[in-house]
Amino acid sequence: MSWSLRLPFLSLSFSARAVAVGSCLLLLVTVGSVLALRLGSYPFTETSWLSVLLGAGSEIERMILMDHRLPRILTALGAGACFGLSGAMFQTMMRNPLASPDVIGFNAGASCGALIAIILTGGNVLLGALIGALLTAILVVSLAWKEGLPPQRLVLIGLGIGFALAALSDLLLSRTDARTAADMAEWLIGTLNARDWQDVWLVWSGLLLLAPALFWIHFPLARLGLSDDLTSSLGLRLSPLRLGLTGLGILLAALAVCTAGPLPFVAFAAGPIARALVPNGKPALLGAAVIGALLVLAADTASRMVPSIQLPAGVFTALIGGPVMIWLLMVQFRKGKL
Amino acid sequence: MNAPARLHAKALSVAFAKTPILKDLTADIPDGKITVIVGPNACGKSTLLRSLARLQKPDSGEVLLDGKSIHKQANRSVAQRLAILPQSPSAPEGLTVQDLVTRGRTPHQSALRQWSHQDAEAVGRALELTGMAPYANRPLEALSGGQRQRAWIAMAMAQDTEILLLDEPTTYLDLPHQIELLSLIQSFNQQSNQTVAMVLHDINLAARFADHIIALRAGAIFTKGSPAEVVTRNNMEQVFDLRCQIISDPVHRTPHVIPE
Ligand SMILES: Nc1ncnc2c1ncn2[C@@H]1O[C@H](COP(=O)(O)OP(=O)(O)OP(=O)(O)O)[C@@H](O)[C@H]1O
Ligand SMILES: [Mg+2]
Repeated sequence: MSWSLRLPFLSLSFSARAVAVGSCLLLLVTVGSVLALRLGSYPFTETSWLSVLLGAGSEIERMILMDHRLPRILTALGAGACFGLSGAMFQTMMRNPLASPDVIGFNAGASCGALIAIILTGGNVLLGALIGALLTAILVVSLAWKEGLPPQRLVLIGLGIGFALAALSDLLLSRTDARTAADMAEWLIGTLNARDWQDVWLVWSGLLLLAPALFWIHFPLARLGLSDDLTSSLGLRLSPLRLGLTGLGILLAALAVCTAGPLPFVAFAAGPIARALVPNGKPALLGAAVIGALLVLAADTASRMVPSIQLPAGVFTALIGGPVMIWLLMVQFRKGKL
Repeated sequence: MNAPARLHAKALSVAFAKTPILKDLTADIPDGKITVIVGPNACGKSTLLRSLARLQKPDSGEVLLDGKSIHKQANRSVAQRLAILPQSPSAPEGLTVQDLVTRGRTPHQSALRQWSHQDAEAVGRALELTGMAPYANRPLEALSGGQRQRAWIAMAMAQDTEILLLDEPTTYLDLPHQIELLSLIQSFNQQSNQTVAMVLHDINLAARFADHIIALRAGAIFTKGSPAEVVTRNNMEQVFDLRCQIISDPVHRTPHVIPE
């Protein structure tokens, strides 16, 4: 079943199932965020968190909620959405669920770039991440190119370059002093420890700025799922479209990596989960964004719930994403696509 | 020949890895007629059709649409006038028939205008005409090969173009459905004067439904003309290496090939 929306300047049709699933997911995000606000080494009761948010409560309570948990949660949601969007875009564009930026090395490139920027300049994380991801993308694509981008080549070469970049990051760590190295090592696994409002501002203003472009590109992206011949016979121009998508996807990946570290498997798992919930052959960008946000929120909250060991969130996204990857690989094998 | 046809191939040459596939091929696709391209496997039929639809860039020569090189025109404006259904199209998993047919509306749509009244109307009509309306909400992979083929045709019809190119539209169809589909295309062509060019393997069906036949052999036009002119004993032997007798179809009065 599908519904039509017709306004003078906008006409859309959407499936009832997508709307239902989307509403449930948004509800889940809200409930999850409230839970995440309340839980932790200083728990809040069912109502006290709200009064603190509204300005009541002690200084300490306000500090815990407003300066620590809230920015951390908002950063987790924003970064997760960026990961999910970027993953779903690359997967749809390449028509291959393995072609997500964390699998094919783009995220490793972003974090390596960020690391170099920190070591060299002490800041400029976003710029470093962007340049790192961009250079990696150019390298991977040009090495994998052979009259187009054969999926196996892309994935294997991307994986290889990802490992090489991870090794390079480790090498860089060993060159820095012990304390920075410890912080950065945690960041390299992916963590939302000690995020502040600056991170919130960065990731959400980035998302907001990119939102119109994402809305616009969703239309051609949905057609790109057909074969190349069909896409261009429908009047779309493949190369500029691919270029635009790659640019946007890299921006999103860099944004996510520089606020949450290269959390593994979020970009990879969000799209397939969203498409499994609404299996209608569409890119499911919005769904992937919300699932990505949920995954990172869950992983970060879990990492806060094990206080004595303080595992970084990346450990938990890997725990969730690993099985998804195995499931996807099995499906791909069964269909003979690998 | 009087006024040149809207779609015209001029001295086309296409090569893959230095192997020439089309050799200096010049052809008109007559306006408002049904043209059928025939020829043995791998003689370049699909390559010709893809070149005509600007999906294949020629190494030399050009394709003219409305008097201008097709590669120099905006892709979207070409897509509003010319639709092509390639030989083995593919769609993402889970896509429903309705959504697939809606994809055909792309050149008339934009990000802000994704589902206008005209879109709904054209999609509904294409589903109706191809008999796919009852399956509109089924995902493509839950259809039989023949139903799937009709869904693809519906998509090309929904594009609502004056020129329609079809690469083997009757594969996967049983004989009654082949006839039904070709009759549908024929009635479309007669009612709305749509120009059709398609590749068919069945020479008897080609003879029955074509106004104009182009017979390809090894990347060049061996002969072209009306079915009566093209479907002759001599031509069949030369083009297909097929020894046969030609009789006149007692019902439709078109030439009919009886292989020996
Ligand atoms: N993209 C390509 N790259 C390399 N060779 C190609 C390509 N496309 C077609 N060819 C070759 O060009 C020749 C003609 O192919 P084409 O698809 O045009 O044949 P066809 O007449 O449509 O055959 P069929 O009846 O089997 O569909 C074949 O030998 C084919 O191998
Ligand atoms: Mg062919």
